[in-house]
Amino acid sequence: MALKALDIYKLLPKKNCKECGDPTCLTFAMKLASGKADPDKCPYLDPQAKEVLGSSTKPPVKPMRIGVGERSFRIGEESCLYRHEKTFYHAPGFFLALKDSSGESQISTIANRVEKDLLVRAGQDLRLNGVAIISDSKNPETFGSVVKKVEELVSLPEILISNDPKIVEAGLTYCGSYHPVIHAATRENYPEMCRLALKFGCRLIISEGDITKIPELVNECVKIGVPDLILDPCVDNLSDCLKKFTVIRKKAVTREDASLGYPLYLDTGRFKDRSGSLYLGILKYASLIVIHDLPEPVEKAALTLRQGIYTDPQRPIQMEPGLYKIGEPGKDSPVFMTVNFSLTFFTLQGYLESSGVSCYMLIVDTEGLSVLTAVAAGKLTDTLVNETLKKADLANIVSHHTLIIPGYAAPISGKLEDETGWKILVGPRDAAEVGTFLESLQSGETK
Amino acid sequence: MVDLPIFLFFSEKNPPRIALEICDDIAFWPGLLKDNLPDITADVSEWAKKGEMEWGADLIRVYLTSTKKKHFSDFPGIKKVIDEILSGTTLPLIIEGSDSPEIDSDVFLNCGEAGSGERLLLGTAEADRYRSVAAAAIAYNHAVIAQSPIDINLAKQLNILLRETGMPDNSIIIDSYTGALGYGFEYSYSTIERIRYAALKGDDDLAMPIISSAPDTLGVREVRESPPETKYETAIQWEFGTALSSLVAGASIVCVRLPETIKLLKTAIIDLSSPSVEDI
Repeated sequence: MALKALDIYKLLPKKNCKECGDPTCLTFAMKLASGKADPDKCPYLDPQAKEVLGSSTKPPVKPMRIGVGERSFRIGEESCLYRHEKTFYHAPGFFLALKDSSGESQISTIANRVEKDLLVRAGQDLRLNGVAIISDSKNPETFGSVVKKVEELVSLPEILISNDPKIVEAGLTYCGSYHPVIHAATRENYPEMCRLALKFGCRLIISEGDITKIPELVNECVKIGVPDLILDPCVDNLSDCLKKFTVIRKKAVTREDASLGYPLYLDTGRFKDRSGSLYLGILKYASLIVIHDLPEPVEKAALTLRQGIYTDPQRPIQMEPGLYKIGEPGKDSPVFMTVNFSLTFFTLQGYLESSGVSCYMLIVDTEGLSVLTAVAAGKLTDTLVNETLKKADLANIVSHHTLIIPGYAAPISGKLEDETGWKILVGPRDAAEVGTFLESLQSGETK
Repeated sequence: MVDLPIFLFFSEKNPPRIALEICDDIAFWPGLLKDNLPDITADVSEWAKKGEMEWGADLIRVYLTSTKKKHFSDFPGIKKVIDEILSGTTLPLIIEGSDSPEIDSDVFLNCGEAGSGERLLLGTAEADRYRSVAAAAIAYNHAVIAQSPIDINLAKQLNILLRETGMPDNSIIIDSYTGALGYGFEYSYSTIERIRYAALKGDDDLAMPIISSAPDTLGVREVRESPPETKYETAIQWEFGTALSSLVAGASIVCVRLPETIKLLKTAIIDLSSPSVEDI
């Protein structure tokens, strides 16, 4: 069971020495209680207390960093089964598969694609994360040379895939200092794989299809001293994937079985369905996903789905406040005001774009609240709108001094007219009606 | 923590169903479909028939988009459309009536009457306009779709309102509204999860099946701005990603518009429903 902050505080030395990085023992205790700190950071904790705290305060899914440098990323640290309970913290890494039997041009195509592909949505850069190099040739030299080639081309997180320690070691000769991930330790080869993981400081994936046998294998690897493990329950159909991943994640977050408290690995190449398994992995707890064939439409959809699912439900994505153009607006173009909640922004933008009318969108900073909530919470005020209006220098950009506001903002329309001196038109409540609204505006029906 | 019987979402006995969305006036339908399936979209009865015979849909959802015409008044025409579709397909029908309150009553009564004995699913009841559709459903023993804007409490409230009109619980399907992928879908996803979770915990007011349709999917910027050679495939993946995620969250009926998406979903549902290699 999880301990409360005050219970934890009682176990701490209460010296407020700051050596853990927190200003007081109490703040450290609060972090421990929410699974955001490691008890090992306290140098004065007595071993008994450490044991009590260790099992109940560490994040239920072990946090770890994958790769080094700019493109490295974090996984693990998750604490719930449903994102509405809190949030999902670290989005899964997408690894494009690269067989060591591929020709030179294919190697560089794949490596460069992972390095360069970029989708910008809602102000965020969405990218593929790494390369999974698969030993297809079963030859250590070939594998090593392909790893070398990839290293020369790009610096990206890597997964080295082979059950033969000799082959993995051949690859590690070239990329060992960049903390790649090794796939995989099995019942047969785990002592050797653990030795490699320790020698090179790698994350080690444990591959075991029978999930009742995973804990045993995990404990063996931990005993040898490998701290950062990732679990591959070898799923090859959607039903198995959903069930096994859910069971493992559930046992981890309820702390029913600490030996299952590690991030999960999914290889979509084992599935019949190239995109369905990818989408399911994003929804259901995968942390590293290997992708063999990624047509551009699937890539876009997967990056977008991942961004949404891993958005903190309590902190919606916000747009930068200011003036946005739809089409090529001029002095006479209508101006639509709305809030900086990304969903509101995109919805309105979509409908305005499909209306075919060039116009401006004036976005005010309601801290990511929707129109309805912002009005109710007093965050969408006449002064705020007026400030944004002035800052955007709108009076010099359009000649008409008319502002269209969302239907749900109607309660502030009077005050807004007084504050700004602009003519305020109340638009529709539903952005879907904005096309019809524009039509009536142009035909002069709306005054 | 409640022990969710999550695995029962997908069983061979009661798998999620796929509805093909069609309409009776394509002037009000995404251009993508007209461009890619010109023959079909001209004849609504033929369209429904293809949905059943060739594309493998489990239900047909007809939007009476003809009622969006200005000053619409051809109410007998609605009956004719529904009769035509009923003669084209044996699948269960979902009929989406008007979306303007002034003609709701006439539209829904005509729908209800035309489908008498068919146990239609009528859409859409919303918090501020549910009486007409509920009246038509009760009169002719149809079910209704209860739509609320991405909020578990509003979904619950609407179900209670509908119950007060005399709608039995087994005639209500929840539609908590689904935003397209990248356009608020994650809110819808979590709302479906929360509704399903609440029902399994014992909340009778939310213990109805969920229907999910993301009507804006084919018009999102990612689809619109894709180069011609990948535009249609992007639309398919956008529909598939949204619908698959909705049913993983707990939806019982997912609605799509492209035949290729139905195929992908069918394969995925069979795969999701396959018995486990081992009992966990």
